[in-house]
Amino acid sequence: MNKKLSLRNAGTFLVFGGPSILAFTAVVIIPFIVGLYLTFTNWDVRTGDSSLIGFANYVEVFRDKVFLNQLWFTLKYVFFTVVIANLFAFFIALALSRGGKGEQWLRTGFFTPNLVGGIVLGYLWQTLFSQVLPYLGNKYGWSLFQTSWLTDTGTAFWALIIATAWQLVGYLMIIYIAGFTSVPGDVLEAASIDGAGRASVIRKIILPLTVPAIVICIFISLSRSFLTYDINLALTKGGPFNSTELATYHIVQKAFLSNQYGVGQAEAVVLFAVVAVIALTQSYLLKKLEVES
Amino acid sequence: MKLRKAASFAIALTVVTGLLAGCSKGNSANNAVKEDKGNGGTQTEQASKDVKLTFFNTSAEVNTVFEELFKKYHELNPQVTIELIPTPIGGAQLEKFQSLLASGNPATMVNLDAGTILQYKDDFLDLEPEKAKYESLTNPGAVEGALLDGQFLGIPWTAQGYGLLYNKRAVEEGIGGTFDPASVKTRDDLEAVFKKIEAAGKAPVMVHGADWSLGAHYLGLTYSLQSQNVDDNRKFVEELKEGKVNLTENPQFTGLMDTFDLLKQYNARKSDPLVSDYNRDSADFAKGNAAFYFMGDWSWAVIGSLEGRDAEFGILPLPISNNPEDFGNTQVAYSEPKLFAIDNSKSSPEQQEAAKAFIEWMVTSEEGQKAIITDMGLSMPYKDLKAESTNIMSNAVSEYVKQGKIINIGVINYLPQDYWAKTGASMQKYLVGNIDRQGLAQEVQDYWKSYAGK
Repeated sequence: MNKKLSLRNAGTFLVFGGPSILAFTAVVIIPFIVGLYLTFTNWDVRTGDSSLIGFANYVEVFRDKVFLNQLWFTLKYVFFTVVIANLFAFFIALALSRGGKGEQWLRTGFFTPNLVGGIVLGYLWQTLFSQVLPYLGNKYGWSLFQTSWLTDTGTAFWALIIATAWQLVGYLMIIYIAGFTSVPGDVLEAASIDGAGRASVIRKIILPLTVPAIVICIFISLSRSFLTYDINLALTKGGPFNSTELATYHIVQKAFLSNQYGVGQAEAVVLFAVVAVIALTQSYLLKKLEVES
Repeated sequence: MKLRKAASFAIALTVVTGLLAGCSKGNSANNAVKEDKGNGGTQTEQASKDVKLTFFNTSAEVNTVFEELFKKYHELNPQVTIELIPTPIGGAQLEKFQSLLASGNPATMVNLDAGTILQYKDDFLDLEPEKAKYESLTNPGAVEGALLDGQFLGIPWTAQGYGLLYNKRAVEEGIGGTFDPASVKTRDDLEAVFKKIEAAGKAPVMVHGADWSLGAHYLGLTYSLQSQNVDDNRKFVEELKEGKVNLTENPQFTGLMDTFDLLKQYNARKSDPLVSDYNRDSADFAKGNAAFYFMGDWSWAVIGSLEGRDAEFGILPLPISNNPEDFGNTQVAYSEPKLFAIDNSKSSPEQQEAAKAFIEWMVTSEEGQKAIITDMGLSMPYKDLKAESTNIMSNAVSEYVKQGKIINIGVINYLPQDYWAKTGASMQKYLVGNIDRQGLAQEVQDYWKSYAGK
């Protein structure tokens, strides 16, 4: 009886989960394993040669000072992007879940950047930073905008963060709104009867009860900003003088421009490890803060 | 509860794996999709002789002209269909070429930099049987200049020159009289002209801040100026790789950089030199907002059709010293930068034959030559041209070619593919004052040393 039930369960699972598992294996698991294998070879498109060379590529990764620099740069970029995008998303969501007029329109408006592809978005911001803002800056004498933000190492970094965060905010906002709506009304009502102010309601009730949404949002923003490539390419092309190359950009350059496929792939694996460790640690730690209402 | 945590953990893990799979280069899945597409395309080709060719183009600024040509050729030869694989201007071209090759789906024909063809020479068809024919079709030396390590792998179709372009009206308004380009023989002559133009309240020169312009065209002259002989220049690069060269003691390098300091000082984009918007820089020069422009005759593609531009332009050699006799001071850089080559890794013999026929038609027929010369504004190294060039700049370059006053920059075909991006970045640092001359030389030398023995 028990055996029959588990067989039936397995069958049901295969019907619903099977196609996804198949697709996932085909486009994710297998390429990942092949990619891992390639890091141990000296594969070269030009010669078609691919003999095993052990860990030499990984040794090369840690000798590649530029990559390690870029990785550090990426970490800084990810940190600020995640913080800024989540703060904005949280407060916009809060403002847009009070049942005010025109809320739906505003939500749509904030979500729209997410529908724009990274390349288009990058070019859009590039025009803003290199043409529109300097034009306005010169016209009205705003010293901050008189030169293009994209040609200075420091400001290009912030330009990159602003563009990414702008894209991310709408998506995260939707998740936060979903989180807020799951906060039970009676709890909020009880709090207001007890005389709690808006600030303490947010801090003591909404925040703890939306931890699951926060975990998801931080996770999504972490992984997405770690893997930013399109915006990097379209907005700064790694410039000025390669100072805004994110790790992914560097990897592509390494593999396809400098023809060091094995090393590039090994760098991708190192990046994978870094993202996995950070993303999983944060979700593990934040999960502990979850409470039941 | 524990189970839920474990489950969400597992989901989290798979999401990360999923997102990262984009970085891994296992192409198995991609491949399947692409091959499927290919078959879908050929299904309609029921007639046995129909051939479908693809054309990978790195001259992105003339994508549409090529597409028009493909349509015309298809009308004349209905059995041949040609599809363009475009690339963006200045971006990710090689990456795309390599991924096509790596996925086993290369283009039948390519329009590539000679250096790239050399690197992938095993994948291209040896055109030795065609060599005699093209030697009779082209100007003397054109086929020889296109040989890569002695092999004829690519058909030359365009010739380009670069140096200091000038806008005649802007220069003459600046100096207050007629401008004789022959009067600028040295760096001091050039500085005198710049000074007058600046005094007249105009911007003397436009320095385009993109890495390809600074790295390949400007700094790249260092390697070509060593000697008139490409093989000697290649030796110089080998010595750089071995760390035997001290650039700060090399007269060609220091001369070039002294001139660069001059350009930097009189740069129209001085306040923000790296904005490097090619269309804007070209347009500003064409409208006389800058009198000189370090660029090549290819900029005609932008300038030629521009509204409100000036009418007369010319080109000057870039002076690199104060001795008018020095090599480089009377010559402009000249090369056949792009070649047409045919894939020999996956294409069928029928496709290769069709590709050969199409390329020959493109460079010899009236339609083809009109498209290349008139519409693209390029000059062709061919005899009996059936179209007249409207490109004032390439005509100016041709004058130098006729007199033999050219710098053969063929050495760049043998340089690694990332030299312009990497050394261009160093030049950008120098341009904004992030490093000094010593630092620049050091970075460039370090770059070459990283290629020691390769």
